[in-house]
Amino acid sequence: MNDIAFILIVFFLVCASVEPEDGRSQTIPRSEKNEDQKNTQTIEVGLTPATVTIDGTPYHQDQFPERIHQLLTQKKTESERVVVVKSQADVPYEHWIAMTEVIELAGGIVTLLLEEKQTVTVE
Amino acid sequence: MILRRKRAEATVPSMAMGDIAFLLLIFIVLLARARDDSHLVWRPATGSELVKPANQNASVVIDKQNITHLNGRPVEPQNLAGDLGTLLGDLPAGSRTVLFKVHKDVIAEYFEPAIEAVSEAGGELHHVLKPIAQPQP
Repeated sequence: MNDIAFILIVFFLVCASVEPEDGRSQTIPRSEKNEDQKNTQTIEVGLTPATVTIDGTPYHQDQFPERIHQLLTQKKTESERVVVVKSQADVPYEHWIAMTEVIELAGGIVTLLLEEKQTVTVE
Repeated sequence: MILRRKRAEATVPSMAMGDIAFLLLIFIVLLARARDDSHLVWRPATGSELVKPANQNASVVIDKQNITHLNGRPVEPQNLAGDLGTLLGDLPAGSRTVLFKVHKDVIAEYFEPAIEAVSEAGGELHHVLKPIAQPQP
């Protein structure tokens, strides 16, 4: 009985500890720290919780894959296919991952544009 | 008169041994759980064309409460790049996989600096996602 109980415990522990690790690998080049460093040829995708823009033009989420695909097929070199993703602070991860997946499937290389926080002390 | 020597029997008490093995097992399991991230609460976002990582060298979790964890332990977001760099050391490219587990509703304010930190530490990012549910016929 002891042996059976012991084997059962081990079985349940092994079952409980198996966690899913399926996912998507992503290579992110070092992020752009300010807008001046940005190459004028790169595509900029803007994300808010509800909308997506390409170079400032808003698109419906259904139209976005087609448009980004059109733009990226015109790009020949790897550096041209860099897509700068600028997200608002309140964009949820689920939306971000869905949009970056669309960009990568269209052949784009995602890089982030982060806002640098600066503290200025006024005397 | 012949006195017979008493023979002491040396037997292993099987019940007691079972209890010791059981306690050892619980101890090892608790120790292992303290070092991994299975106790953290997060729900993965969905994705398509998912693959298994070739290897895993570290895991970064941002849980439901927007708290960042490195290998199951809470870490300050500003220290993540440094701690991850120490952990990955001089591992060659291809062996620097960082499992990135973010609760689906965490906002960019929390997950983008973590992505930047992984990139800064030279980690190879692997977003852990769940497959998109297929509609029932």
